[in-house]
Amino acid sequence: MAFARFALLRLLRGLLTLWFAITVTFFLVRLLPGDPALAVASPTMTEEQRAIMLADFGLDQPLPVQYFTYLGQLLQGNLGISFRQSVPVLDVLLERLPWTLVLTGSSLIVTLIIGVPLAVSAARRRGSHIDRAVQVGGVIGQSLFVPTVGIFLLYVFGLWLGWLPIGGAIDRGVSGLEAYGSMLRHLVLPCLSLVLLQLGSYVLFLRTSLIDALGEEYTTVARSKGVSERTVVWKHALRNALLPTVTLVGLQLGFLVGGAVLTETIFAYPGIGRAIYEAVGQLDFAVLQGAFVLLAATVVLANLLTDLLYGILDPRVRQA
Amino acid sequence: MTYNPATTPTAELLGTDLSQMSPRRKTWRAFVRNPLGLSSLIVLIFMVLLAIAAPLIVEEPSGFSVAVLEPPSSEHWFGTDHIGQDIFAQIVWGARTSVAVAVGASALAILLGTVVGVAAAYFPRLNTPLGMLIDVMLSLPILPLMILIAALVGPSISTLVVVIAVFSWPEVARVVRSQALPTVTLTYVNASHVIGASNLWVLTRHILPAVTPVVVVSVVLTASKAVLSEAGLSFLGLGDPNSWSWGTVLYNAQRSGVLASAWWTALFPSLAILLFVVAATLCSLAYNDARNPRIRGD
Repeated sequence: MAFARFALLRLLRGLLTLWFAITVTFFLVRLLPGDPALAVASPTMTEEQRAIMLADFGLDQPLPVQYFTYLGQLLQGNLGISFRQSVPVLDVLLERLPWTLVLTGSSLIVTLIIGVPLAVSAARRRGSHIDRAVQVGGVIGQSLFVPTVGIFLLYVFGLWLGWLPIGGAIDRGVSGLEAYGSMLRHLVLPCLSLVLLQLGSYVLFLRTSLIDALGEEYTTVARSKGVSERTVVWKHALRNALLPTVTLVGLQLGFLVGGAVLTETIFAYPGIGRAIYEAVGQLDFAVLQGAFVLLAATVVLANLLTDLLYGILDPRVRQA
Repeated sequence: MTYNPATTPTAELLGTDLSQMSPRRKTWRAFVRNPLGLSSLIVLIFMVLLAIAAPLIVEEPSGFSVAVLEPPSSEHWFGTDHIGQDIFAQIVWGARTSVAVAVGASALAILLGTVVGVAAAYFPRLNTPLGMLIDVMLSLPILPLMILIAALVGPSISTLVVVIAVFSWPEVARVVRSQALPTVTLTYVNASHVIGASNLWVLTRHILPAVTPVVVVSVVLTASKAVLSEAGLSFLGLGDPNSWSWGTVLYNAQRSGVLASAWWTALFPSLAILLFVVAATLCSLAYNDARNPRIRGD
């Protein structure tokens, strides 16, 4: 019962966040000086053509009407029509979304696989060389500029060593197992860029919460029972230290998506980020707005899932 | 055992009485004694001076020249780009944009964030809605939203400053609010209310001084994030077309497809960004350490 209430509250909060994001963008786009109507209509049109064009896109209606029409359309999964390509924005973006999910998801998994052992070895030997290196590396890692990392990796592994492809997501004309291999090879560099981008925050955060956990009484009890240090760290302390890290995942998601936009631009990776880059060049505001709404919805959903996961892992949260 | 500051080893050594020093001076002394703190501060000051003095150092890069894609040499320290412009000059002039955006955006974001954070902590009725607003803003993917707005309004330095500030204040508001919340319930704050002090008096005399340290840290961190955001937007082609920026240099390198043959077109703008952001981060860490009596050891 407590869990159902907790889940419902989190769901409502997610919906509120999404509504806020949609509303703010809608009014920003309509009220800011850059007039989207101008982007649709070209100056060579006659007044009449222009009026028809604006009516087609519903841009001649009063603002509140436009707003509620937009909300209604969104509920039906309609993100509008791309100004440039004259196809539904949702179609353009849904084709791209899986790539972005693969990229961000894999980078998150790899970050944890590399980050957890790093944080454990730093926390176990506080003040050691490893600990120092982790702390300095963490600070520098948090200061990295995504394109810099991407370009560096592209240069070293793509151009200089020639081990990995420098762009795209898959080779043409491959099928079956070969296709998966090709996808994997194209994924390595963009994924690694995002890993380097977020590794610092995760390692530093996990290190601190591990050090806290190792100072707790239950670890002392485990030690005095004669449990090996290895088990104390990996079984007792790490389990509890990982809990707050679940929250960090939620906090970092928006940042990760921003990193993905830049990374996809560098590696010509066909995700939402690349679509955003292309839409900027074409001033296709419908796609830009749709991309933000879709990414916000994805982040809200992922946040909801991490919240629920936290609620399952830690019974105390459900009470609050 | 009673604590006698006059007999601490450092005080004897320096012949100064630590107990006589103001906390501010103690912090400053600890800060400059930390080699990381001092050197990062010097780097930041150097960047600002570079930005101010750019016209005295090199001419603003413009036009074309025949020296296309030349590697670094004594004539062109950082090499030249695909249309023969000197990259050293671009970096120096780029510092102007980066520093201007960093200062402008962080000033605006700090102002907004402090007002919202303090208001949320001080007025109980505002706490829930403002706290929710902060959480919502923090959880959204901000870069795509910045891109949308910068593309709509049209790229310029003032657009960049406003857009970055409008989406950076929640971070500031979050730390200011959590610092101010416990302060609001302290006895001396209650006491001022009891003796009839106005809200304004309590806010400016008691609450603001209490949050000043986290605001100082936020200034530096927000500035470094603003540099990253500005470079990111410029890298996507949304930089001010009339001025140089480190992101624009990278954007040109990427657009013209010379990355593969001319490493210097990407290396130097990247280094400039890295240097600025690392210096800002270390500076804030050193300041935090210097403020902490347990770490500075007095």
